[in-house]
Amino acid sequence: MKRPTRTEARNARAAAGFLVPFLALFLLCFIAPIGYAIYQSLLKVERTGPLGLGGRTNEVWAGFSNYTHALEDERFINGFGRVLLFGAVQIPVMIIFATALALLLEAASARWVGFFRTAFFLPYGIPGVIASILWGFLYVPGISPLVEMADSAGWQVEFLARDTVLWSIANIVTWQFTGYNMLVLIAQLKAISEELYEAARIDGANAWQIARHIKLPLIRPALVLTTVFSIIGTLQLFAEPMVLRPLGTSIDSGYTPNLHAYNQAFTSNNQHIAAAEAVLLALVACVLSFGFLRLVGRGPRDGRDGK
Amino acid sequence: MSQQPPLRHRIITVSLLSIAAIYFLVPVYWLTISATKNTGDLFGTFGFWFANPHPIDYLHDVLTYDNGIYVTWLLNSLLYAGVGALAATLLSAAAGYALAKFVFRGRETIFNVILAGVLIPGTALALPLYLLFSEIGLANTYWAVLLPSVVSPFGVYLCRIYASAAVPDSLLEAARIDGAGELRIFGTLVMRLMSPALVTVFLFQFVHIWNNFFLPLVMLNDSDLYPIQLGLVGWQGYADRAPELYQYTVGGAFLSVIPLMVLMGVLQRYWRTGLSEGSVKA
Amino acid sequence: MSPSGLDRRTVLGTAAAAAAGFALAGCGSDDDGSGGGGKERKKGQQVTLDFWSWVPGIEKPVALWNRKNPEVQINLEKVSAVNGAQYAKMHAAVKAGDAPDLGQIEYSVVPSFLLDNALADLSKLGADRYKSRFIGWQWQQSVFGTSVYAIPQDSGPMGLFVRQDLFDKWGIEAPQTWADYARAAQAIRKKGAWIETFSATNGNRFAGLVWQAGGRWFDTKGDTWTVAIDDAPSLKVADYWSRLVDEGLIKTDPDRQNAWYKNIQTGDIVSWLGASWGDALLVGNAPKTAGKWRVLPMPQWKKGENAHANWGGSTTVVFNDSAYPKDALAFAVWLNSAPEAIKLLIEGGYGFPSATSGYRAADLEGRKAFFGGQHYSRVFTEAGKGVDTSWKWGPTVDTLYQRLGDAFTEAIADGTSFRSVLKTVQGETINDLKDKGLKVAAGPGSASG
Repeated sequence: MKRPTRTEARNARAAAGFLVPFLALFLLCFIAPIGYAIYQSLLKVERTGPLGLGGRTNEVWAGFSNYTHALEDERFINGFGRVLLFGAVQIPVMIIFATALALLLEAASARWVGFFRTAFFLPYGIPGVIASILWGFLYVPGISPLVEMADSAGWQVEFLARDTVLWSIANIVTWQFTGYNMLVLIAQLKAISEELYEAARIDGANAWQIARHIKLPLIRPALVLTTVFSIIGTLQLFAEPMVLRPLGTSIDSGYTPNLHAYNQAFTSNNQHIAAAEAVLLALVACVLSFGFLRLVGRGPRDGRDGK
Repeated sequence: MSQQPPLRHRIITVSLLSIAAIYFLVPVYWLTISATKNTGDLFGTFGFWFANPHPIDYLHDVLTYDNGIYVTWLLNSLLYAGVGALAATLLSAAAGYALAKFVFRGRETIFNVILAGVLIPGTALALPLYLLFSEIGLANTYWAVLLPSVVSPFGVYLCRIYASAAVPDSLLEAARIDGAGELRIFGTLVMRLMSPALVTVFLFQFVHIWNNFFLPLVMLNDSDLYPIQLGLVGWQGYADRAPELYQYTVGGAFLSVIPLMVLMGVLQRYWRTGLSEGSVKA
Repeated sequence: MSPSGLDRRTVLGTAAAAAAGFALAGCGSDDDGSGGGGKERKKGQQVTLDFWSWVPGIEKPVALWNRKNPEVQINLEKVSAVNGAQYAKMHAAVKAGDAPDLGQIEYSVVPSFLLDNALADLSKLGADRYKSRFIGWQWQQSVFGTSVYAIPQDSGPMGLFVRQDLFDKWGIEAPQTWADYARAAQAIRKKGAWIETFSATNGNRFAGLVWQAGGRWFDTKGDTWTVAIDDAPSLKVADYWSRLVDEGLIKTDPDRQNAWYKNIQTGDIVSWLGASWGDALLVGNAPKTAGKWRVLPMPQWKKGENAHANWGGSTTVVFNDSAYPKDALAFAVWLNSAPEAIKLLIEGGYGFPSATSGYRAADLEGRKAFFGGQHYSRVFTEAGKGVDTSWKWGPTVDTLYQRLGDAFTEAIADGTSFRSVLKTVQGETINDLKDKGLKVAAGPGSASG
C-alpha cells in the first residue's frame, strides 16, 4: 500500500466533514433502531410474584423463540401472502396505468396537458390516512354515492366484502401513487432527445411504434425505480387497512404484516414479538427489492456515476 | 416541427385522459361537497350533491374547535415538512457530494449501507426508534419527528448521482487552486450546480414528511405537537362519542388538502426538471 | 415533566428499576436518588404534574384546578385514543422510565398496567378513606389484593335505546326478556327493518352481554390467572346471538360506523343495545329523529330479574414514576368527586359519574328533548345498581377483544357457530397470558377446562 498523498489526506478530511452530519443522524435513526430491534427481538419478559403483579419483571434471553412465535402465527404469515398477492397485481396495474397516462400526455395537444397532469398528480399530496377516510365514505354501502348509483343501475357492488376489500385498498393506493409514478416517467421521456423521435418518424414509424420501440425501452430505468419503491411501499401497507378496518368485517387485525406488528406492539403490548416481526418485515423487504433489481439485471449501484 | 396527429387520435387521447381525470378528481369532488355538510347530512344525504350547505360556518367550526387546535396542527405539519425537508436537502447534498467527488477508504461500503437504508420500510424502524428516543428523552418532542425526517437515504443517492454528472472535477480543482476553502466551494459552486437535484430532494422529502403517518403516531403523545393527519385521525377516532367530530374531520381534511393542492400545482414543473436528472441515471 | 434523572438509564436498568419501584410501592427509592416515586412536597413548593388524557372537555376541570391550586399545577397532555394508541404510549413510556404522573385508563386495561408494575398503590397513599365517595363496584374494579390502583371516573351502564314511534306503530311491546327481544326482532324484520346489528368487532359490548348473563371471563386462584371465555353464561349468550344471525333477524355490520349511522337515521335499524354515553351519539348522528327515541332497561334472561352490565368508563391512575404521588392522588380524587369538576366533565360529555353525589340526575339529562322528555338517566342509574360487581378484567383485554373480533368476523363469513368462536378464543387467550410470562389455567367454568 502506498502512503496517502497530501491531497488524499485533505480529501478524506473534507469528505468526513461533509459526511459526518448525515452519517451521525443515519446512525441514530437507521442503524441504531435496527440494532435495537434485533436486540429486543432476542429477549422476552419473565415475571415473578403472584399473578405477575407486583413481582419483578425481567427481560431474559429468548433465543429465536420470538421468531418462531411470529412464524407460527397464521395471521402474520397470511398477511405476507396477502401483500404479496396485492403487490403482484397492484404494482403492474399501477405501473402500466402510469405509463399509459405518461405516453398519452406526451401525445396530447399542449393546451390541456397542464390541467391533466395536475389532476393526476393531485392525489399524491393527500396523506394515506386522509385518502382512506375519504375513500371509506365512497365504499360504505348506504353512504356511498358510488354504491347508490351502481344500485340504481341495477349493479350490485360491495367494496368492503371479504373478497373485494383487498382490491378496494389497491384502488386507494393506485389512486394515490399513479400520478407520482407518471411524473417520474414523463421526466424520463422529456430527457429523450427530440431528434430520436424525428428520425423514427422520418423512417415511417407511427405513434404506436415509436412508443413501443423507442419510448418504452428508454424509460426502463425509471420503471425499475418506481417498481422498487412500489414493492417497498406495498410491504409497508398500513394506513389503508387500519382506517378501513372498523368500517366492515372483512379486515382482521393481521391483515398486513405491518398491521400485525403494530397490533402486537400497540394492542397486546408484546414489544419483543413486535420487534421480531419488524425485523422479519425489513428482511423480506430487502430480499424482495434486491431480488427484483437482480432480476431486471441491474444492481442499484450500476448507474451511479452515469458512465 | 412535428406535425399534428390526426383529429381522430386527438379525440381518443383527450377522452381517455378525461376519464382518468374523472377517476382522480371524484374523491376530491366528494370531499369538497361534504365539507359543506353537518354530521347528520354527511350520513343521510346523497354524497355527490349539496345539502343545506353552510361552508363558512362549518369551516369556522373546524378552525376554532378545541381552542383552535386545528391551526396548531396545520402549523406543525408545515414546520415538520418545511424545516425537515430543508435540512434533509442540505445533509443529502453534502453527503452525496462527498461520496461523489472525494476518494477515500470505505466510500463504497458507506454508500452501500446507505442504499440498504432506502430499502428498509420506515415503519419497521419507527417502534424501536421510539424506545430509543424515549431513552434519551426525545420522544414526544418536535425533535422526535424532525430528526428522523431529515435523514433521506434516497436523497443522498440522488445527490451522489447528480453530483458525479453535474459537478466537473476541473472546476473544483480550479477553485481549490484559487485558494477557496472546501466549505466555500460547496456552499457556492457545488450547491448551485446541483440545484435541480436539490429541488427534487426537497419536494420529495416535503411530501414524504407531510404524508408520514406512522412516525408521528408512534412518537407523539401531546396533541399540541401533532401534524394534521394525526390530529384528524384522532378526531375521527373519537367521533363515536362526540358526533360533530365527523363533520370536523371531513372539513379538516378538505382544508388540509388545499395547501398541498396549490403546492402540487405550482411546483410540479420544478419537480419534473429535477426528477428527470435522478431517474435518467437511476 | 417526570422526575429528572430518569433519562440516563439503560434499557435493562429501566425494567428492573420499575420493578424495584413497585416492590417498594412508591416509597421513594428509585435507582438514582434524584427522582424516584414518593417525595413529600415541601410546603410552598411548586410542582408540575403531567396528566395524559384523551377525554374531550377535560381541559376545563384541569384549568379550574390549576387556578385553585397554584402549588400543584397539572400539565395536561391530550393523547390520541385511536386504536388504543394511548395505552401503547403509556406502556412504552413506563418502559422507558418516562411515564407521566397521572393517566386516564379504562377499567379493563388497569390489570395490563399492573403487569408492568406501572401503577402506584393508592391504598398506601391513603386512598381508602375516599372509597365512600364512589359507587362501590366501580371502586372494586381496580382493587387487586388489598390495594386499590385507580380512582374511578365514570361508567357506562347499559340500556336499550329504541325508536318508540316505530315500536308503537308496529304494535311491538318493550322487550322485557331476551325471549321477548327475539320475538320483537322477528316482528321488526317482517316490517322490513332490523332490531339490531351484531357487531363482530365490538368486543366491549359482547363482554357487557356476557357480564349481564353472569359470565366471568377472568379470575384468580392463588398465584394463577384463570380464564373462562367459554363458560356456560358466555356460551348461552353466544348461542342466542348466533341463532339471531342464522335466522337473518339481525344485521352483521359494525355498529357506530358510517353505515350504521345511516341506518339509525333512516329507521332501518330501530334499536341499539348501548350505554349511558350513547345519548350524545344518537343526538349528533340522527338529529332528525329527535323525540322518537326512548331508553329501556336491558332485556333480562329471566323475567323480573334485574341483572345489568357496564360498557366503557375509565379511571384516573397515578404512575409509579410520579415524584409527588400524594399530590397526584389529591388531584385524581378532586377531579372525579368534586361537584365543580363533575359539572365540567358532564358538560364535556363524559359517561355516568362514578361519584355517588355532587350532581343531580337532571344534570345527566341534557338531551331529554331527544328522548321525548323521558327521564332517561333514571334507567341508567337503576341499571348501574344491578351491575354484577364480581366481574373482573384480565391482563390482556385489548388483545382479547381483537381475537374475538377476528374470530366472530370469520364465523360470520363462514357461517360457523359462535360457540366455536369462544372455544377458539379461550385457547388463544390462555396462550396470550402464557406469552406474557404468567401462570394461567382454564377457569372452573370453562367448557374446555
